[in-house]
Amino acid sequence: MKSISLYEEKGSILNKLAPESKILYIILALVLPAIVGSKMVSVVFIAISIGLLLFSKVLKKTIPILGVSGFVLLTVVIIQGLFRAGNVTPLLTLGPVIFYKEGLLFAFNIVVNVLNILLSFCVLILATKPSDMIENFVRKGFSPRFGYVFISVFQIIPQMTETMATITDAQRSRGMETEGNLLVRIKAFLPLISPVVMSSLINTKERALALEVRGFNAKNKKTFLNDEKKSSADKYIQITMILLLIAGIVWRVVGCLK
Amino acid sequence: MSKKGKSLWSLNFNTATLVLIPAAIGINYLGKLFAGVLKLPLWLDSIGTCLAAVLAGPIVGAICGAANNIIYGLTMDPISTVYALTNIAIGLAVGILAHKGFMKNIKLSLVTAIVAGLVAVVVSTPLNMAFWGGTTGNVWGDAVYAWAIANNLPVFFASFIDELIVDLPDKIAVLLIVFAISKSLPKSLVALYQSGDTIDSLDN
Repeated sequence: MKSISLYEEKGSILNKLAPESKILYIILALVLPAIVGSKMVSVVFIAISIGLLLFSKVLKKTIPILGVSGFVLLTVVIIQGLFRAGNVTPLLTLGPVIFYKEGLLFAFNIVVNVLNILLSFCVLILATKPSDMIENFVRKGFSPRFGYVFISVFQIIPQMTETMATITDAQRSRGMETEGNLLVRIKAFLPLISPVVMSSLINTKERALALEVRGFNAKNKKTFLNDEKKSSADKYIQITMILLLIAGIVWRVVGCLK
Repeated sequence: MSKKGKSLWSLNFNTATLVLIPAAIGINYLGKLFAGVLKLPLWLDSIGTCLAAVLAGPIVGAICGAANNIIYGLTMDPISTVYALTNIAIGLAVGILAHKGFMKNIKLSLVTAIVAGLVAVVVSTPLNMAFWGGTTGNVWGDAVYAWAIANNLPVFFASFIDELIVDLPDKIAVLLIVFAISKSLPKSLVALYQSGDTIDSLDN
């Protein structure tokens, strides 16, 4: 079964760190540029994220994630570059199409922002097993019942994707068309999705029974199957990042007082 | 679709309701996948959220919406995490309306669809403005956006129309599908998610 998570265990430093350190890194990468008020900080964080990902040998894995947002970014650059209100300075002329400086600058800011968000998240999601992260949250006091809900999504989706393949084949073999004009394709949607929906809802009943039999609602303290993921460096990394955040706030406040 | 006497805002979930949440997220995911396979011009990625809201109420709907986008965020598309707000709003709106009886027949569920669509647009537009400068990434919507700002209409208006043109048909399609599915579910299954606070019975 193919997992939906892009995480891969490479034995890298990022793999060994506690999830909280990486989450703190995301917060720092997103909040610090806003506090300092400079796009340069975002660019620096993009560079750091790329460096970390390269060092952990997972840079290639960012491609599908960048691909999802890449198309939207492309439309942003085109639309803002061509049509943004306040476009006056032509920068680039391709035949009848004129890209304007103001719109492109605006689009560039969006691109930097989005890349910073994407890459800093990649530092977390490409180097952390989702179930490890959720287990750590449960250790810190998150409800174990909801912890189960989150973890089970990662098991249910691959199962349902397999069911989907089976059902698509079954309906096709009965003569249902899944290609053709829009109307044909719209008509195909309900016979495809409803069997999966029905079976997964009926499965919830069995799953609930199975869970209750195994003491899902027991009130006593839960134990963990896996050891907590953390390394000796975690404490120092977290302290450094909090200090950086405080330094950023102080720098901004002092800047405002002058 | 709901029994009298059970609090709409109860946070006391039984196991069946909790297990419904991951199933709903899976259904969201499959809807999106099928829409992609069939090359439909809609997202269809909130069928599970709406279905859960209809079956188990607004709180469960909202939790499904939030968990759905957080999990997308942690696997494929980090930016979709912020759109959790939109899905929470959809879950709440559909759950409340379903409780008030707005999923009884196809006409009323169209009303629900339009309300859910408008709610989604109102919540999404500021997010689109903040993260993308107002575009949605959908070809049709963005074409309208480009036309609107080229004609010097305000950016928030262009963005609003951009989102509306994608979201409203999407939610209408989603809620009609949800209506069709929820009507054909076996009664014993529906009752499972609506059990009151006193008796939690799984064997019926």
